[in-house]
Amino acid sequence: MSDAHDHDHDHDHDEDGYGKDEVHAHIGSYKQYGAVFMALLAFTLLTVAVASVHLGNANLAVAVIIASLKAALVCTFFMHLKDDNKFNSLILIAAVTFIGVFFALTLNDVSYREKLDTQSGNRIYLESGDKAPGSWDNPIKKEEKKEGEAAPQASTSASAAPSASHAP
Amino acid sequence: MTTEATADHDEHGEHGGDPEHPHADHPKWLQHHWDTPAQQFDAAKLGMWAFLGQELLFFSGLFVAYAIYRTWFGEAFAAGSHELNRTMGAANTCVLLFSSLTAALGVRSSQLGKKNETTIWIVLTIGCAFAFLVVKYFEYQAKFHHGLLPGTFFGTPRDMLTFEPLVGAHSPAAELPNHTNVFFSLYFIMTGLHALHVIIGIGIWIWILKRNLRGDFSKRYFTPVDITALYWHLVDLVWIYLFPMMYLIDYVPPGHRG
Repeated sequence: MSDAHDHDHDHDHDEDGYGKDEVHAHIGSYKQYGAVFMALLAFTLLTVAVASVHLGNANLAVAVIIASLKAALVCTFFMHLKDDNKFNSLILIAAVTFIGVFFALTLNDVSYREKLDTQSGNRIYLESGDKAPGSWDNPIKKEEKKEGEAAPQASTSASAAPSASHAP
Repeated sequence: MTTEATADHDEHGEHGGDPEHPHADHPKWLQHHWDTPAQQFDAAKLGMWAFLGQELLFFSGLFVAYAIYRTWFGEAFAAGSHELNRTMGAANTCVLLFSSLTAALGVRSSQLGKKNETTIWIVLTIGCAFAFLVVKYFEYQAKFHHGLLPGTFFGTPRDMLTFEPLVGAHSPAAELPNHTNVFFSLYFIMTGLHALHVIIGIGIWIWILKRNLRGDFSKRYFTPVDITALYWHLVDLVWIYLFPMMYLIDYVPPGHRG
């Protein structure tokens, strides 16, 4: 844009010819952006490869860690946080922190409720069989139950095996 | 800034020499309430990051729901995940990562004032976005035809566009564990919301492309390209988490299942 007022007479101008009030962006190199992209592809391959290794519950943790590494690369380089005003990084960190609080409190609540009854798909108190807080009326299960009363359902084989192992 | 330049500035602020053009010494892209281009740029970025923080918190609600239901119905989630097309999911991941690269390079060339290069990178980004949506369309279509649908629609094969039941079509739903419908509810709402962000992103990129072609941007003013790219990277970030969580649950390679 050449219609802007001319700072060429300024004595303290930068190498770009404009004053210090101008936007000074850090220009990343092609090499850097390319390297970040290759790293992101490598992490994608890694997450696919690791998913086929049976680690039990650790599979999810590994997937989240790899995804977070990828996210960190995107934020640091593609989103310029590396060379940006640090306050922008603070906003991101604050958002991630509160997501952590959200997860921690909710999962803590959910994990310490009463047991899941795999037959009704509902949370019940083991002693009384009453519905526990957080339980709900599952409309789908009711329909299946009605069908089940009329005739032994075909899907029993699919659902019975896991229910048996989890039943209290 | 020299005293001469400062004096210019004050004059425009207080006295505004020319009543017809009170902001004559402001570049037209510098809004009148900002003193300097740097101030305007920093404020725009701050605002965008605040919005992105909000977007992360907004998506986190669905991720928390995912975490809860996955702990409750782990077996159903693994079974549902096995019904998804991992090749298409992985291809889309690569497409989105590449579009993030082209967006970042678009910002780079616009920082350097290279208008034509910026045009190429933005067009490539938009192309990737469309490619992503086309793959997503075929994935959704297959799920509709197999009756792998949210909630109470689970088990009834349907046409994707008319939503009419497909007579005689086979659905694997009966062989899947109870509550697999919950997995597909989350699959559709999370990938659907993500796809909505992709569609909005295409719209914004087209607008930015138009402005770039009009010559709005320069070495001194590339803020809209920069913050649009920030939004686009966020769309990529969400998918980075969605891909392993939806497609790769307890993955058993083909030939090793049983």
